[in-house]
Amino acid sequence: MHPVFLWCALAFYGVAMVWVLPSAARGRPTLTSIALSALTLGLALNGAALMMAALRLHRLPVIDVQSALSFFAFNVTLAFFLAYHRYHVTWLGVLILPFVFAMTLIAALNPSRPLVSTTLRGGWLIVHSSAMILGYTGLFLTFVAAVMYLMQEGELKSKHPRFFYNRLPSLEVSDRLYDRSLVFGLICLSVGILTGCVWASRAWQGTWELDPKILATLFTWFIYLILCSTRFSGAWRGRRSAYVAILGFVAVMVTFLGVSFLSSQHGFFPTISRMH
Amino acid sequence: MNFILAGINHRTAPVEVRERMNISEARLASALSDLTSREGIEEGLILSTCNRVEVIANAEPAADAEPLIRRFLADYHHCNLAPYENHLYWHRQESVVEHLFRVASSLDSMILGEPQILGQVKQASAIARETGALGGELNEVVSHALAVGRRVRRETAVGSAAISVAYAAVELARKIFGSLEDKTVFVLGAGKMSELAARHLASSGARSILVTNRTYERARELAEAFQGEAIRFDQIFHVLDKADIVISSTGSPHFLIHKEQVERALATRKNRPIFFVDVAVPRDIDPTVNDLDNAFVYDIDDLGQVVDANKKQREREAAWAEEIVRQETQKMMRRLASREVAPTIVAIEKRLNVIREKEMERFRGRLGALAPAELDAVDGLTRSILNKILHGPITELKSAAGHAERGTIIQTIRKIFGVTE
Repeated sequence: MHPVFLWCALAFYGVAMVWVLPSAARGRPTLTSIALSALTLGLALNGAALMMAALRLHRLPVIDVQSALSFFAFNVTLAFFLAYHRYHVTWLGVLILPFVFAMTLIAALNPSRPLVSTTLRGGWLIVHSSAMILGYTGLFLTFVAAVMYLMQEGELKSKHPRFFYNRLPSLEVSDRLYDRSLVFGLICLSVGILTGCVWASRAWQGTWELDPKILATLFTWFIYLILCSTRFSGAWRGRRSAYVAILGFVAVMVTFLGVSFLSSQHGFFPTISRMH
Repeated sequence: MNFILAGINHRTAPVEVRERMNISEARLASALSDLTSREGIEEGLILSTCNRVEVIANAEPAADAEPLIRRFLADYHHCNLAPYENHLYWHRQESVVEHLFRVASSLDSMILGEPQILGQVKQASAIARETGALGGELNEVVSHALAVGRRVRRETAVGSAAISVAYAAVELARKIFGSLEDKTVFVLGAGKMSELAARHLASSGARSILVTNRTYERARELAEAFQGEAIRFDQIFHVLDKADIVISSTGSPHFLIHKEQVERALATRKNRPIFFVDVAVPRDIDPTVNDLDNAFVYDIDDLGQVVDANKKQREREAAWAEEIVRQETQKMMRRLASREVAPTIVAIEKRLNVIREKEMERFRGRLGALAPAELDAVDGLTRSILNKILHGPITELKSAAGHAERGTIIQTIRKIFGVTE
């Protein structure tokens, strides 16, 4: 991972994050060209950093902290572009870009470590890691859609349309974004968990099933499974499912970042050499 | 450029005066030819709507335009203008440009941000162009006014928030359902307000309309008008779960729809939202229904509140729109003014260059045989001296553009350099 590229990407993400604010505050449906070009440049540099790491490693760079986070940031930015072109909601930028900025910042602050373990080089692992990160990207969008839903729903219920009434999308748009990203996220998460199990059963000895990160991931997966089934059966919609999506994403963050510090097998966060 | 505008509008004149001064569209062309055929008037435009009558002209630079417009108005309406004097407002030069931009942006309208005015300005300018009344500087200003009007609509929300109760209901429905295309509207009770709201919803694309009324006949009539379906009054709760939007205005003395019934309907429709618009007084729908997830209840006062908030929103947006108008006016004035001084600049440059070339020719013999490179150097030297000398006067001319005494400044500089018409 090339730190210079990542720092430049960070700078452009920062510019985009600030330049989204005027459009969002005034409720414009389009972003300024400054915000869009900064975001495009940030994405390109982020992609270039990933590409260089991939060339060096000869595979998708998703297995150390820096690359995993910057791959996450890259996906989220890409998802923002897609959602923005589809729904024209500038407020998506206000909710998404600070997250992208934070992820890239953490990535840039954590220097990449050389891979010492040969077990980490399996093809299953690449599929596992990238599927997990794609899944988290989808679930992050679900979270954002849920936040937008709750804000707009609050305005509508209060009957005093204020700031957000004119600036946020209709409940229907938030719902659609919610449904699509949830299905995408859950499918990726499932693929990620399955491939992870296959890989772990080959590479690790002992009771890897009790690894805190694996348990936390299963718990998260379970939350989303319930969410998905209640939502599509029509039992929970609206406010309730929005709250659960927010809870679910908190679980994702705890799993992705927090539990890594407790896990021995998934120790790629504190150090990778501790594994064997 | 010698712009003048005389007008009356809804703020300065009551309807009796506006109708007396009105110039109907059918007579617009003849009125414009009358106006522009007058001595001293080069271009003309007449904007006559139910809220305003404005006569705009571009007079010859030296002409005193005000008496000309007065005479035109008096002649055209066969009247003495004296009784209307208090209702008239006048704009000149830059303020004409600004006023036209404000009008086209709907900032001067009775209902701030209403969309018709832009079309009316467009229509008026098309007629004026056809009759040959527009074709110069005023034409440019009017064309740009349309562009400014479009920019204001695009970049501000001055015309977007709903400011009538019926439209507020449609806007709220859009905030819940996004597109109304495949939605079902259930009209309870045939009242004026519910009919209006249903009409707006139908024209916004609502797919099917169900109508019920205490007297079935009336429901049938209304259903026919909307190409909808009439429902018997006692069947309300059998179809409630099919409705996305419920508009209620029955004369019932107590609540007709209670929380439990809505809860059941929501369960049947898998919690897809229902939007209740209760325009009845006394109310038909128990306000506690609003506490249910996925149910939204707005009564007539709530809609009024939305309208008030939207009006304030339009006023806030109007401040941005005014800023756009100010910027565009300045841009337009600079463009017009620089056009005014451009011929002088060209003339001075041309004259000095002729002098330069003559002198070069004269000194050619004395300089002897020069290599092409040396010749180029001498040529460059003289050019550069010329440009340095011209820099001051040209800057002065450009900054004079738009200045009140620019006529005198232009004349003085012309005299100094010996360029006369």
